Amino acid sequence: MALFPIHSNFECDFVIQLVPVDTEDSMDQVAEKCAYHSVNRRVHPQPGKILRVRHHENGIIFPRDMKVEEAGLRPTETLDILFMDE
Amino acid sequence: MAHLKREDWYDLTRTTNWTPKYVSEEELFPEEMSGGRGIPMEAWETYDEPYKVTYPEYVTTQREKDSGAYSVKAALERDAFVDRADPGWVSTMIAHYGAIALAEYLAVTAEGRMARFAKAPGNRNMAVFGMMDENRHCQLQLFFPHANTQRSRQWDWAHKAYHSNDWAAIAARSFFDDVTATRDAVAVSIMLTFAFETGFTNMQFLGLAADAAEAGDHTFASLISSIQTDESRHAQQGGPSLKILIENGKKEEAQALVDAAIWRAWKLFSVLSGPILDYYTPLEARKQSFKEFMLEWIVAQFERQLLDMGLDKPWYWDEFIRALDETHHGMHLGVWYWRPTVWWNPAAGVTPEEREWLEEKYPGWNDTWGQCWDVIVDNLLNGKPELTGPETLPLVCNMSQLPIVGTPGNGWNVKDYQYEYEGRLYHFGSEPDRWCFQQDPERYKKHMSLIDRFLAGEIQPADLAGALIYMGLEPGEIGDDAHNYEWLEAYKQKVDSAA
Repeated sequence: MALFPIHSNFECDFVIQLVPVDTEDSMDQVAEKCAYHSVNRRVHPQPGKILRVRHHENGIIFPRDMKVEEAGLRPTETLDILFMDE
Repeated sequence: MAHLKREDWYDLTRTTNWTPKYVSEEELFPEEMSGGRGIPMEAWETYDEPYKVTYPEYVTTQREKDSGAYSVKAALERDAFVDRADPGWVSTMIAHYGAIALAEYLAVTAEGRMARFAKAPGNRNMAVFGMMDENRHCQLQLFFPHANTQRSRQWDWAHKAYHSNDWAAIAARSFFDDVTATRDAVAVSIMLTFAFETGFTNMQFLGLAADAAEAGDHTFASLISSIQTDESRHAQQGGPSLKILIENGKKEEAQALVDAAIWRAWKLFSVLSGPILDYYTPLEARKQSFKEFMLEWIVAQFERQLLDMGLDKPWYWDEFIRALDETHHGMHLGVWYWRPTVWWNPAAGVTPEEREWLEEKYPGWNDTWGQCWDVIVDNLLNGKPELTGPETLPLVCNMSQLPIVGTPGNGWNVKDYQYEYEGRLYHFGSEPDRWCFQQDPERYKKHMSLIDRFLAGEIQPADLAGALIYMGLEPGEIGDDAHNYEWLEAYKQKVDSAA
């Protein structure tokens, strides 16, 4: 377990934000921590949708249960957080 | 006694390139300070400044200008305009003075570098006057706000901002250090005077002067118009330098200096002038939108000047034009949302009436930026103000030192232009920002953005309170909504009438 800084590029928001996550966090937990700083602050919630995490540069969507430490991320790397159906 | 006409003696007296006897030319004009770029001295001696002025002429004119500006201030002081001005306009002045006053003093050193180290005698001569201009601008813009420090401590940031680690001050210092404090004389003439002053001071000083007059602030209008008359003179130092570089096979290098300076200046003005012209200035006092002003005064002017000079439009020109619809809206929303971190009180500028104006000037505004503001308005109306303030930091660009923003809502396109260099991951707000870094990584690679400093543990405690301490913001200086949220009344009435 270790603190790991990432940057959240949240769908429909206007700015990228620093979000501290944990290396043990799943991608669902990462999405939740990012949502805290965007949804209901500047982004309308989208009921019925789930949040998925996408690699900002190569566009690959990470599995929901993948841990941060397994994702090969560099500290401070930017991640897209998307509203998706599944 | 008969006097010679100026044109009969001017060229002779300012031709001061004597032959050095005790030191070499290289010692007299070190490359790192002069930036001669291997171009022979004879070529630099062809530098022909378009604006010629003698010392007696300069002093006479400046005295008149100073008495004009100071008399207007003295005459209107009793009128106490500031006490009845729209709070958005007061914020405009406080933001302006903090961002500009000490940058003018930095510009004194830049002019001083040209006055001493430029190989072109004409440049040295003009820069002496430029140096005195900038000194005057600094003094004026410290003296005028000082009269208002009795009204609020925020006015004191005219002097304090550049001595602080406020994020906006870091961004401004990063730009001005780059183009004024750390470049050779030739590069300064191109990056500071041609790229920055020719174009962008027009924006802040002409655009704002027009709005100031409309807003009834004749003191401020007269002050910044007076400054602009100096700027338009000494901004002409870069043109002849560019001509000499181009004639001597250095077009590519000249173009790169111009391209980097225009882009960096644009980003700084997107956070300074953009919010002021489109959001802070009361609706009835707005002469033009920020985009209209940019297109008329900056884009058209640069296009004409660059092509006349034999340069090309910067490679990113299409992206620049596109960004006129976007960047400053993001900077404004960011400044307002992170309002405790600035030394002025940002005006939201989003009443239903103002939103109509924004939609007219920027079609699609309601569907993009408006969506974020809808959430903010709902939170304020529903008693959740805590959701309208920050709990983390925005990612800032490693070039502009400004938040990385893009279009939200249904036009969502926010992008981080990442770049790994020597094992460090850098973040940029645009391709041109990244390009500036890639042009000269040695120059920029060690700079720590606010986020880098936060992650390095320099900001303690590592939360908003710690950030405010780090930025030097004391109680009474911390920003809040300019109108104390009174603009929500129009929304409340809409809700009430719907119910």
